[in-house]
Amino acid sequence: MDLGRLRFFLGEVLTNFTRNAGMQFTAIGTVAVTIVLLGAFLFVRDTIQTFGAGVLSQIEIAVYLKDDVDDAKAKDLASKFASDPRVASASYVPKKDGLKRMKEVLGPDFDTSLLTTNPLPNTYHVRVKDPDSVPNVARWIGKDARVAKTDYAADTVQKLLKAAAVLGRVGLALIILLSLSAAIVIANTIRLTVFARRREIAIMQLVGATNMYIRMPFIAEGMLAGLLGAGLAIGVLALAEHQVVPKLASTLAFVTFHVNELTLSLELLAVGAAVGLIASWFSVGRYLRT
Amino acid sequence: MIRLRGVSLTYPNGTRALDDVDLEIEKGTFVFLVGHSGTGKSSLLKLLYREEVPSRGEVVVDGIRVDTLRRGRVPKLRRNIGVVFQDFKLLSHKTVWENVAFALQVTGTRTRDVMRMVPRALDLVGLSHKSRMFPSELSGGEQQRTAIARALVGNPKILLCDEPTGNLDPSNTTEIMELLQRINLKGTTVVVATHNQSTVDRMRRRVVRLEHGRILHDDERGYYFRGLGQTAVLPG
Repeated sequence: MDLGRLRFFLGEVLTNFTRNAGMQFTAIGTVAVTIVLLGAFLFVRDTIQTFGAGVLSQIEIAVYLKDDVDDAKAKDLASKFASDPRVASASYVPKKDGLKRMKEVLGPDFDTSLLTTNPLPNTYHVRVKDPDSVPNVARWIGKDARVAKTDYAADTVQKLLKAAAVLGRVGLALIILLSLSAAIVIANTIRLTVFARRREIAIMQLVGATNMYIRMPFIAEGMLAGLLGAGLAIGVLALAEHQVVPKLASTLAFVTFHVNELTLSLELLAVGAAVGLIASWFSVGRYLRT
Repeated sequence: MIRLRGVSLTYPNGTRALDDVDLEIEKGTFVFLVGHSGTGKSSLLKLLYREEVPSRGEVVVDGIRVDTLRRGRVPKLRRNIGVVFQDFKLLSHKTVWENVAFALQVTGTRTRDVMRMVPRALDLVGLSHKSRMFPSELSGGEQQRTAIARALVGNPKILLCDEPTGNLDPSNTTEIMELLQRINLKGTTVVVATHNQSTVDRMRRRVVRLEHGRILHDDERGYYFRGLGQTAVLPG
């Protein structure tokens, strides 16, 4: 395509875009609102997932050994743990260290002078690589003859895993639904611009322009509306992040707010462009088939 | 150049526009299609540039079977056929130059060729000096000449005109008809559907008369009404 043809094409797109400015603003606004919601949702989801992953990675299985398992026998267990690929690490805490740690945690109010023997068992703290495998690994360890009992925050693990799965599904449904509504508005806008330009289209068809050629400016227009909407949304989201996140971070100190802004922005722009493309493709296609 | 064989066209609402029409038009000829409104003149032209597809029969234009042509091939066919209408069909927000260039630009012609071909077409119709004007600033005749320039700018082999002078006064009508004759002299096949009797009778070209979708008569150097033309020219 030479420069003159490119200029003609862009000129056509721009003229038509500005001629239907009112309608285009509606489309851009709808896309923007949709993408703001989408972006906010993705932000919340990312935060929860990061937070959840952090919590899950810290979950430990406490393995309490039987009283008759002494330190030497307990050490043998370490190699058994190490041989399993699901296990990330296993640290041994002998009963005397356990008591020491307890004193450190509970402070001077915890009086051990009354104790005649150490009531704590020898213990392993096992961490797994994949939080999903916590229940299975715990069951596997529990079968060992030297183990008295295993314990882990079962409830927390189950709930977090379930929440992550639900959030993923709800998110997908929400994204599809929002994109669909934006696509419908863009499709309607394009259909109006197609209607406004039916004379031009008729002439183009008369002088032998291909359907692909006739379609292109409308598709460019739709994509432009999608991209502008997404850009606007990114602006709003950036402002919101700038205003809200510092306040949240000070209230919810244990949550790290970590979102990759560049990736998210590119994703949202892609969504906007794709929505515009698909919507305009179909609304022009219906017209050209006559 | 153009051949119709056993062509019928029935619209979805049941109207029969053409009924078993046979017609052959040689390359480089000038033909009038005449008849009252609604006798199938426009329908016949539409079959040639594939705006309509016949219900029955065969349509061949420049060696191409138009009636069975795939939709994707239609643009190529139309680049070989210029079409002019009663209502000009110009784009009001574009200048004369832009209206003419539009036909080339939307068919992917290179800018260099556009710059070369548009002035030639405007020169042919005598509008070079008004190329920067908008259609609303032109007379009806000038608007139609712009439309003719747009139809011809891509050097089509055939020019189809559907009531080209229907909106024009007599002097503009004469002007347009003279232009069409000049175009025909350069080798373009010209088919004009009209019910302008005086023009047809003055020009003495081939006349194909349609009535109720059938060809009533087909005369070389004919008149609008067969036999009436001679008596209309009074002796002395």
